[in-house]
Amino acid sequence: MASKYDAVIIGAGHNGLVCAAYLARAGRKVLVLERRDVLGGAAVSEEVYPGFTYSVASYVVSLFRPHIIRELELAKHGYQLLPLECSFSPHLEGEGLVRWPEAAKTRREIARFSQKDAEIYPEFGLAMTKMAFLVKYILDNPAPDPTSLDPRELKNLLDFGKYFKNLGPDMLHLHSQLLTMSAVDFLGLWFESEALTAAMSVSGIIGTFLGVRSPGTAYVLLHHYMGEIDGAFRSWGFSKGGTGGVSMACARSAQSYGAEIRTEASVACVKIKNGKSSGVILENGDEIDAEAVFSCLDPNRTFLKIVGENHLDDRFVTQIKRYKLRGSSGKVNLALDRFPDFTCRPGDGQHVRGDISIAPDLDYLERAYDDAKYGNFSAKPFMNVVIPSLVDPTVAPPGKHVMSIFVQYAPYHIKEGASNWPSRRDAFGDAVINTLSEYCPGLKDSILHMQVLTPWDIEQKFGLTEGNIFQGELSLEQLLFLRPVGGYARYKTPIKGLWMCGSGAHPGGGIMGSPGEMAAKTCLTSGGV
Amino acid sequence: MSYDIIVIGAGHNGLTCAATLAASGRKVLVVERRDIIGGLCAGESFHPGYSHTGLHQDTTGLRLKMVEALGLGKHGLNISPGFPDVYVPQVQGSGLLLAHDPKVAAAEISTHSPDDAVRYAEFRAFIARIRKIVEPLLNDAPVNMFNPGPKDILGLIPHAIATRRLGKHEMLDLLRIPPMCVADWLREYFSSELLNSVLAQPAISGAWCGPWSPGTAASLLLYECTKTHGVKGGAAALIDSLSRAATASGVEIRTGAEVKEITLASGAVSGVTLVDGEKIDATTVAASCDPKVTFLDCLPPHAVTHKFEKHIEHYRMRGTTAKVHLALSGPLEFAGRPDLRVEYIRTGEHLDDLERAFDPVKYRQMPRRPMLEIYVPTVARPDLAPQGHSVASIMVHFVTHGLEGGWTDERREELGDIVVAELARFAPAVKDSIVGREVLTPVDIERRYGVFGGHILHGEHGLDQLLTRPAPECVRYRAPQDGLYICGGGSHPGGGVSGAPGYLAAKSILAH
Repeated sequence: MASKYDAVIIGAGHNGLVCAAYLARAGRKVLVLERRDVLGGAAVSEEVYPGFTYSVASYVVSLFRPHIIRELELAKHGYQLLPLECSFSPHLEGEGLVRWPEAAKTRREIARFSQKDAEIYPEFGLAMTKMAFLVKYILDNPAPDPTSLDPRELKNLLDFGKYFKNLGPDMLHLHSQLLTMSAVDFLGLWFESEALTAAMSVSGIIGTFLGVRSPGTAYVLLHHYMGEIDGAFRSWGFSKGGTGGVSMACARSAQSYGAEIRTEASVACVKIKNGKSSGVILENGDEIDAEAVFSCLDPNRTFLKIVGENHLDDRFVTQIKRYKLRGSSGKVNLALDRFPDFTCRPGDGQHVRGDISIAPDLDYLERAYDDAKYGNFSAKPFMNVVIPSLVDPTVAPPGKHVMSIFVQYAPYHIKEGASNWPSRRDAFGDAVINTLSEYCPGLKDSILHMQVLTPWDIEQKFGLTEGNIFQGELSLEQLLFLRPVGGYARYKTPIKGLWMCGSGAHPGGGIMGSPGEMAAKTCLTSGGV
Repeated sequence: MSYDIIVIGAGHNGLTCAATLAASGRKVLVVERRDIIGGLCAGESFHPGYSHTGLHQDTTGLRLKMVEALGLGKHGLNISPGFPDVYVPQVQGSGLLLAHDPKVAAAEISTHSPDDAVRYAEFRAFIARIRKIVEPLLNDAPVNMFNPGPKDILGLIPHAIATRRLGKHEMLDLLRIPPMCVADWLREYFSSELLNSVLAQPAISGAWCGPWSPGTAASLLLYECTKTHGVKGGAAALIDSLSRAATASGVEIRTGAEVKEITLASGAVSGVTLVDGEKIDATTVAASCDPKVTFLDCLPPHAVTHKFEKHIEHYRMRGTTAKVHLALSGPLEFAGRPDLRVEYIRTGEHLDDLERAFDPVKYRQMPRRPMLEIYVPTVARPDLAPQGHSVASIMVHFVTHGLEGGWTDERREELGDIVVAELARFAPAVKDSIVGREVLTPVDIERRYGVFGGHILHGEHGLDQLLTRPAPECVRYRAPQDGLYICGGGSHPGGGVSGAPGYLAAKSILAH
């Protein structure tokens, strides 16, 4: 039986749901199709073991655009963030480094490593905050197209140029450095202490197949300075009830505007005739007709799997094939019987109620990267650990905890071949637990359950090609008007009626909702539906 | 003594600058710290009876416009037709000879991969097209991006039009490629790792990164777009003709004259003071030494603002290159192709080899399997060694300047042994034919040539340091101190044997 919609959205990740909500809000008849039995894509909460709710994949929130929260009334639908209070880097010797919410306390902490760094730390924050406005500008506007001769485009480009010029020579210089330098070199413009530089540099490599000394990683540092929660600039948070809470709020909002959401509805292909899409066909054979089809899947999956090469020209196919999706990270989720102390700073105080980075020094991080370059997971990985149950009691039984460990590097293409990841999964999990136990000796004995997700597992479970959490590397050549490929950075695709609305479109990955929002708005204003 | 202009350093850029200025009637003095001229291009005897032709080996980036303007042909400069052939040897197999003739190269490549041969022609054609855009950008003084005036913006218009003429697809490519890593870019074209390695090497020569680091594609793009012809007789031959041209236009060159300080009077340049105390007056000074030496060592501290000082301090010059000169009793013979006599050889069979060659630098360790960029000057100039003997001049990548525990005589020899062992993997006979060798660690290079960090390019070619070279305060050769200019590889368009910084700086001085 064929049913007719204005728009069908493939994938109920947060971007798909945001897109659906905007379209439904504009009065369109919308259907969201989700392959899994839960909503949220990679922004999902699941009770994997009874009583323990995991943010299985994505684990912290900050970039979600405030205007989307307002416009879609997400707060009304249950969107709530609990602030991430500290950043803690435990060390094997000494007390480690904590950056606190209070500036003065952080300064004193840094002064233990370098007085000079402590003095200049606020100045750095100020410069980054100023620069974050640029990124906001980028995140909230479609990418200007420098190749177009359309006068409107030229105006866009001029506005962009004017924006830059108005920054003044000093800021402009700093911007050019930020876009091209390595995280370590960029931080080196301010700081001398390795402990501080290592702790800060890791935000430049999360989700990227690069090391902290690789050029191009400085830009991602900014993301750490542009979180917004309730208008408070530069804060990060946990979503109440796990990251899936964000997606659920988007889903409820979409439903409140009349959107339909169907789970366990896996799309087999997009119906295409004469270069135009007319709907989708599900794995179970159902056909659904729609004026517009939005794919929230990554570009590889969208074009090579559910569209098919035969509907696309060779040049476009080549470009999609060389689009870099390099899974470089894994995830270990633990259910803990009790809180395990960190040796260098025991207790479950404020210092662990934020993110905890295992990044003791720069060589440590580089060695972790070197392993991955040659097809191994890091013997001693960089880890970003959060224990959401400390601030959100709803996610674990009383006295028990959930610990989420983001692990880098775990290359999708291990030298044994990606499909052999299952046989390496235990060894990978062991490397993570053993390394973390050096800092947290009671960890092993407190583990009740353990879930290990290799990049191969992430691909299987979430449908993210090569397990890339951002649906494509956030490297300069894959950003702005080049995301995912030059000429198709405005959510449109070579197939008429097919749109992209996932992280593989501008402005990229992370829980921010922008690709979904801008895809919907672009389609609506251009009369696509 | 008084001159119009004093040029510090008689390297190829200093001499180019001096000759260009003198040709316009200026009274120019060049002061050189060493007893010989040439800087990084100076040819020297390193073992009785054996000479090399300079620390720099690759002369393919020499700007022909400058050669013509200075009439270097008249002064004995001989340009070989086409860029030189490059050979990459294999341990097993006969290696790959990348000939300058694209047809010959394609035939050779097809023995490794027929597809790559076709793709190589496409690659060369692509380079030829975008060269028209890139080359003019590098042969002009840079645009002041951070504080553009109307002139800057007007100056950009022809470039913008030329870029648009490429058409949408290639324009997008031109914007896409520079931030990429060279490994990714080359692998879009080629499947042969041997070919990828030989092409990637120039992108990371002198860099503080391997082929998987973003931004290295920009370096390769610049290299390929400015690659023209090699100089017969290597870098030293360029110095010979430059010094003749300079002298002929009235330039005075003094060797053994080390500058202690660039002197200022009420904020403006008044001349230089030499180490021996001699003062020489001039209202303009053009420094071809690197930016750190120029601004942090040669200027009185009060002449540099705090902000500018920070910019120069943060300018990255982490030397990663060592040099080994071998005196050989016979030809340099590669097992894979014993009869081949070629000037340029690069080792590395796989991009992984190049990446692994870089890794030890990060940990301040001795290289294990370095990447070798070999030049055999005796192929073109047998007179540099006794009859039948030869010279192998080897640039060794990557060797850390800051070796853990410091560089000592033993560690220097250890490095020499590592290099010979690596070379012997491809050319086993070399071990028995060595009659003498000279090893220069990055620290030796720093001491001998007076270049900070031993950095052969006067500063890394990172994207940020190509856009702003060396600091926003002096992107167009003009330093913040009145009358002071920079004219070395630490200014646009960067290091290497191009002569472009010296030439463009001279133009800039004349325009003011």
